[in-house]
Amino acid sequence: MPIMDHLTKPQQDSGHGEAPLASAFQNAPVLLVEDDPDMAAEVTKELTNLGYHVRVAETEAEGLAAARSHPATLMIVDRMLKGIDSLSMIETLRREGIRIPVLVVSALASVDERIRGLKAGGDDYLIKPFAMGELAARIEALLRRSNDSRTTVLQAGPLTIDLIERSAMRGKRILDLLPTEFKLLEYLMRRPGQVITRTMFLEDVWHYRNMPQTNLVDVHIGKLRHKVDMAGDTPLIRSVRGSGFMLHVGD
Amino acid sequence: MWAIELFRSATFRLAILFALAVSVSTAIVFAFIYWQVATFDVERLNAILVGEVARAVTQPEDRLEREIELRFTSDLRRLDYAALFDQSGKLQYGNVVAIPEGLPIDGKSHTVEMRKLRGDDAGTEPVVFVAGQRQDGGIVLLGRSLYEVDALRQVVLQALMIGIVPAILLALATGTIFSLRGARRLKMINETIIRIMQGDLQERLPAHGKMDDLNSVASAVNLMLDEIGRLLNQLKSVGDNIAHDLRAPLAVMHAKLERGLAGQSDQDLRIAAKRALADLDQALATVSALLRISEIEFGRRRSAFTRVDLTEVCRNVFELYEPLAEAKEITFTFEAREPVFVLGDFDLLVEAIANLVDNAIKFTPSGGLVSITVKANLAGFLIRVSDNGPGIAPFEREQIFKRFYRSQKCHHIPGTGLGLSMAATIADVHGFDLRVEDNQPGAAFVICPRQAA
Repeated sequence: MPIMDHLTKPQQDSGHGEAPLASAFQNAPVLLVEDDPDMAAEVTKELTNLGYHVRVAETEAEGLAAARSHPATLMIVDRMLKGIDSLSMIETLRREGIRIPVLVVSALASVDERIRGLKAGGDDYLIKPFAMGELAARIEALLRRSNDSRTTVLQAGPLTIDLIERSAMRGKRILDLLPTEFKLLEYLMRRPGQVITRTMFLEDVWHYRNMPQTNLVDVHIGKLRHKVDMAGDTPLIRSVRGSGFMLHVGD
Repeated sequence: MWAIELFRSATFRLAILFALAVSVSTAIVFAFIYWQVATFDVERLNAILVGEVARAVTQPEDRLEREIELRFTSDLRRLDYAALFDQSGKLQYGNVVAIPEGLPIDGKSHTVEMRKLRGDDAGTEPVVFVAGQRQDGGIVLLGRSLYEVDALRQVVLQALMIGIVPAILLALATGTIFSLRGARRLKMINETIIRIMQGDLQERLPAHGKMDDLNSVASAVNLMLDEIGRLLNQLKSVGDNIAHDLRAPLAVMHAKLERGLAGQSDQDLRIAAKRALADLDQALATVSALLRISEIEFGRRRSAFTRVDLTEVCRNVFELYEPLAEAKEITFTFEAREPVFVLGDFDLLVEAIANLVDNAIKFTPSGGLVSITVKANLAGFLIRVSDNGPGIAPFEREQIFKRFYRSQKCHHIPGTGLGLSMAATIADVHGFDLRVEDNQPGAAFVICPRQAA
């Protein structure tokens, strides 16, 4: 069973190439608005390790002041600050024309709450508890968010896909992809060198938020990988330990 | 106190209102009759008298006397009074002593109070008089007592009283009886509700006998109490289950971490931490799934349902799970001929079918068979997710939909034990039934519209 070789379980990544963990945005200033000191310390530690420059604000007022005086490239905002909903803070910032990406972190998991968070001006909504790898991947995705997507042909390393003809090539070899595989590859190619978690795949490619826990994403990626990375090729689709996957197209 | 309560009762107020309405409408009818009788009769009399006087004024005196005599004796009492006076007002003949004071002599009718002609002498009665002047200066006076009209009026008034007073009394009495009865039942209901509020959820409202409005409200409230009781029980058992299901992995985690710390090398700790993390993920998944179920249950009224194609829903799930089945070397088939439209939430339905398929693939061994079938039929539709795995023993078929239930046969397979519960909840929100059948061998989960009980 050839496909099984590519299967990975969340906790046991195959040795298919470890991606570097450090962020591509060295020293990017990140403003963390979080009232729980333990949580703030953990996140700060993790993000500092990745190379971000983290500043912490504990209250809504501090957060507002910091966002106005020290421009950050990204904000991470806890939804509940000392019992106060911080969405109003985000709304205030948006009204003032401060457009930096905001990642809302919350224990309120329902779809309605997520929608409220995004409507208030949040760019992404991450539910507590989360893995640090998930947080890192989301931050990077927000920082990279490109103003795609007028192009009809995408290129990354040796890979080319034509969005109109729905065709994909690696070098001169035509890849015979199923519709789902094509969507996955497109999603990866729009984010080369970026860690993409299983949740991000489920949410963005399939638009499913609550799938039963399985290695669904892994199997789909496994199938795609089987077609993209043939024996002897440099592996392009790599697993990232404990987080997800990444399209590695060389330096 | 009693009177105040009675007056507060809505039934009683209604009765009073009803009594009032009856009185007013009856009074209006009677007043109309009264008015008609009085005016019509008086006018008829007036016209007759005026005509008689006009005739009498022009007649020669000898004939006049005879005619008046005749009127008195033979005529059917059209005249009560008749007299002829000379110029000076002295009575010539007739039964009136003098011209009543203040009566104009103009040939028109006038009403004057006179001593009663009949019966005992006490009191007066209205009399219509017409006086006319003859050419020779004499005065003809004719009169008619209005006692008949008066009596008629009395009769009408009496009829009104006899009719209206019992009507009012009857309305009030009925109102009182009904409101007293209602008040007693309301009081009972009220007391029961207070007992229920104080925590005795086994208590039920009295709702027997005829299905009147109070009884149907009471039985609706009782049904609601049943449902609340069921939910509370469910909540309690969920609480117990959460405690059990979380405590178990936490205890294992605790042990693993302890052993890791006690171990000699960093490698031991690493391994222990990694395993503990996996356990923690499991515990978190359980909590998320539980929250998700209550979110679906809670949000059932708000969810905006649209027209959803069940074939499309199942095809989505099929495409999502096909590689997984392939990887496990399970033959996975999808069978649907036409679109099947229902009112529902696309994402929720995908979630429900995905949970069924997920289970089927999880519990079917390699080389097995899993299939999804969508059919339109007379009852509406039928979705069947079947496998040829170990199947579900008859005694387990009820239990599997309960939260956290996991078959004895598959305790080694990881899972939250909430998948079927989730699917059942979603089906329920849509008004569908989810049941399990024997697939001989294996299990088949069937979703179809709920049959009216």
